[in-house]
Amino acid sequence: MRRVHDLLRHPRAARVLSWVGFVASWQLVVPLLPTELVPTPSEVAVFMWNELRMETVAPHTVYESFSLSFQRLGVGLFLAFAIGVPLGLLMGLRRRAEWFLHDFVVVGLAMPSLVWALVTGMWFGFGDLAPVMTVTLAAVTFVVINVAEGVRNVPKDLLDMSGAYGVSRYATIRHVIFPSLMPFFFAALRYGLANAWKGLVLAEVWASTEGAGWVIKFWYDAHRSQGIVGYALFFIIVAIFIERIVFGRLSGWVFRWRPSDSRQAPEPTVADPDKSAPAAVPGRQ
Amino acid sequence: MYPKLRARPAPADARRRAEHRSRWLWRVAGYVFFIGLWQFTSSFLVADFIVPPPAVILAEIWDIVATGQVWVHFGATLRTIAVGFAIAYVLGSAIGLLMGRSKWWEAFLSDWVMATLTTPGLIFALVTAMIFGLGATGPIVAVIVTSFSYVAVNVVEGVKAVPRDLTDMARAFGRNQVQILRHVYLPFLAPYFFTATRYGFSIAWKIATLAEVIVGTAGIGFMMRQKFQQFSIAGFLAWVLLFFAFALFLERVVLQRQMRHVLRWRPEVAG
Repeated sequence: MRRVHDLLRHPRAARVLSWVGFVASWQLVVPLLPTELVPTPSEVAVFMWNELRMETVAPHTVYESFSLSFQRLGVGLFLAFAIGVPLGLLMGLRRRAEWFLHDFVVVGLAMPSLVWALVTGMWFGFGDLAPVMTVTLAAVTFVVINVAEGVRNVPKDLLDMSGAYGVSRYATIRHVIFPSLMPFFFAALRYGLANAWKGLVLAEVWASTEGAGWVIKFWYDAHRSQGIVGYALFFIIVAIFIERIVFGRLSGWVFRWRPSDSRQAPEPTVADPDKSAPAAVPGRQ
Repeated sequence: MYPKLRARPAPADARRRAEHRSRWLWRVAGYVFFIGLWQFTSSFLVADFIVPPPAVILAEIWDIVATGQVWVHFGATLRTIAVGFAIAYVLGSAIGLLMGRSKWWEAFLSDWVMATLTTPGLIFALVTAMIFGLGATGPIVAVIVTSFSYVAVNVVEGVKAVPRDLTDMARAFGRNQVQILRHVYLPFLAPYFFTATRYGFSIAWKIATLAEVIVGTAGIGFMMRQKFQQFSIAGFLAWVLLFFAFALFLERVVLQRQMRHVLRWRPEVAG
């Protein structure tokens, strides 16, 4: 009896308990609700299993939809970096450029991705262009602000020292500027990606006829809430995969020159340019 | 008291003023440039209805304000946010306190808090839309579900930052739980509460408009959808600009004032 008590007090037990309790109560409470639009966990599980086996009522399988969305995301993010890095460098190096652009970058940061999705939908119509432009617009300001901050944070004394020791220009960029910019690139990629992904889904809902976001809309119109919840779980799985595996590996590799206890990508410092209170910034919004 | 410190050398002062002036000049130049670019695009490059000239958008804004539509719809959205955020705040603080002070509850709840943080807002908006149908309930529930986790995460950080020796000392001097909460926890938590408010509030805005786009019968999001469906880009942009002005006003003026007032005991804020 004593051992059971001790076992239950362990945090791991709490975790297991919360999962079991949540799923069980969800499964038991739903049939009692007056509406039939809330799915039970078993319905969601069956739906997801069928989707993974490519048995679906929707016009595209889950693999096709997600790979299409990822292609759009990739192209949009590439454009965002191509535009954002030069602008960020300019803003970090020249104060006048910063004064010139600052307010617009802040507006871009604060703009809900919903607005981008709807505006690009009206501008470019149904197709690939609206989602791609949404991704670019939603991510570019995060790139600009982080690169600018990174340039300002390049350690001055290291630059002076490499100047004094006659290190070549290329080597300075490669070994001093580049490594100190890296955390900010990561921050840009992370925040930009999170914001862009949300924007992409919204753009696909309103301004596209395929892609992961559109399939969610399809299930909504079909009044199948297990479809929405199932796709939400796919989204979360993909997000966790990107966060843990891709970012974790990548930052481990990029920051391999650091002492091994700080190889994870450091927390980005400038998600919010005028932060005035200590913040616990959640990784994703 | 310190006359020597006060008398600054004149050249530095002049230089600073010059810098200040040039800063404003470049800033204004930025605005002029972008508005000019917009005007140029709309008059020479593309059709008027795709990129409406700034004057048309301004006229549209004036129309919205003059007819009083702005109050109706902003009122509706604000009510959704106020009700939803108030509930989310209480819920999030309670969960945060629980998670910050007990390892067991942290393990119990953290997965679910993380899950609501990672789920795209669209999902909550659609599911609540399906369950609650047209009306204001769906958006309110969507606001609660998405923003409570922001409050909880920040409160947890805050509770963990409370110095252990202060609580130990308070306990050693026989203060009771309520006094400790009020005089030790609360002052330390205040900045975290403000961060939570800022993040939570910006999320609440976004999710409220999103939910209104889907099921609203009034509100900013509802108007955005209407303009989207009517293909009125000028109207849409007018609502977006109004939305921005309002959000900026609330955050910069109202929230930051409050923050400075509550945090006035901190040297870095008072100074």
